[in-house]
Amino acid sequence: MYKKKANNGLIGIIITITILVILVVLSNIKLEKWSYIGNAISSLIMPVQNGLTYMKNKIAGNDAFFSNINELKGENEELKRKNSDLEKQVRELEIVKAQNESLKEYVNLKDKYSEYTTLPANVIQRDLGNFGKVIVINAGKKDGIDVNMTVIADKGLVGHVISVTDTTAKVQTIIDTSSAVSSIIKTTRDGIIVKGTLDNDSMLKGTYIPTDANLLEGDNIETSGIGGIYPKGIHIGTVKQIINTKNITDRYASIETAVDFSKLETVLVITNK
Amino acid sequence: MKKVVCVIMITLIFFIIYFIQANIFNLFSIAGVKPNLFVVLMLIVGLFAGKKVGIPFAIIMGIILDLLGAKIVGISSIMFIVIVILADIYDKNFSKDNRMTIIIMVISTTIIYELGIYILNAFKLSINMELISFIKVLIIEAIYNTLLTIIIYPIIQNVGNLLEEIFKEKKILTRYF
Repeated sequence: MYKKKANNGLIGIIITITILVILVVLSNIKLEKWSYIGNAISSLIMPVQNGLTYMKNKIAGNDAFFSNINELKGENEELKRKNSDLEKQVRELEIVKAQNESLKEYVNLKDKYSEYTTLPANVIQRDLGNFGKVIVINAGKKDGIDVNMTVIADKGLVGHVISVTDTTAKVQTIIDTSSAVSSIIKTTRDGIIVKGTLDNDSMLKGTYIPTDANLLEGDNIETSGIGGIYPKGIHIGTVKQIINTKNITDRYASIETAVDFSKLETVLVITNK
Repeated sequence: MKKVVCVIMITLIFFIIYFIQANIFNLFSIAGVKPNLFVVLMLIVGLFAGKKVGIPFAIIMGIILDLLGAKIVGISSIMFIVIVILADIYDKNFSKDNRMTIIIMVISTTIIYELGIYILNAFKLSINMELISFIKVLIIEAIYNTLLTIIIYPIIQNVGNLLEEIFKEKKILTRYF
């Protein structure tokens, strides 16, 4: 009787150890190698999630629905008038734009990010838990997205792609605690490392500030191009506060992100490196 | 047959929780912190359906969850297994018919789950440990989970009794005498 019980215990321990070993092996497999299973799961789940995100965005944008109707009528009239004026202006501007574009070609001017080929995508899933800041976007391998591609928004850097399925891609944002971006202070060109924090979704921690660096509040921080993932010169944020410690080598800066991650809906993926 | 239907139902509940977690809780977070209903689900499965159903379920659902939104695959599985084993221990030692014991179980499993996830991620991804911020998030999450447990307690009881009836053999335990 007792012997049987002991045997059962032994089998249990062996099974538990085997399962744990398998899981350790699984956790060491890179995310890209899971793409077959990931594809199957995301093709089942993500269309629904995509729809729900669309609905959520619609509802979030319609909170002024119950405004005064008379007020709206007046506003409508005024807007119609403005609209016709604007249409006239647009037509004039289109002519100017066409002229401008041809002139740009002559002088070879480039816009801020125009040297990159970008692909727009929508954020369809934010982080599920509280400790990881990973987002999922609705563009994948079929759209030409690959691992390690840089993701930006209108105001600055968002993060980089860590895994792709056929129709979706997982992006690790710069506010994730495991993210570290090699950056430079725009004015002095001193290199620092920018990391995500658990405290705040709009704050980054700038560490490894050179002892002779002259860092000031309000300084702009941008990517340095070192590290092989992020291209050079993408805006990250501005220095909000410099925290001095007893040892000057330990001082760090609180950097406010240029991108508002709580309201992030559309992003651009840089498809050429 | 009943068991198969039940497993399908639990899987469906898992995906419903996933959609709630990904959409609704992003709008209703307390100080930026969201609750974690996956922990509550795993606890219920472990507590009422037992280890034999709980562990395979924990492995599969953990892998799916990691594929959907995590940086490493497998860590959620490990921690879900820990929850199921803990639930089995609780089942042997405590009464499940009391709201208070269920709440204490939810708080303890939430803390152990998040602690495990954080430590395993920190080892794997070399994260700088931010202990104070972590504890702050953990406390808020545990409170949020507790509040939700209080609200959904009647559902937990009904689903639990159903699961127990289907997956566990009826037996009279000597500890009740």
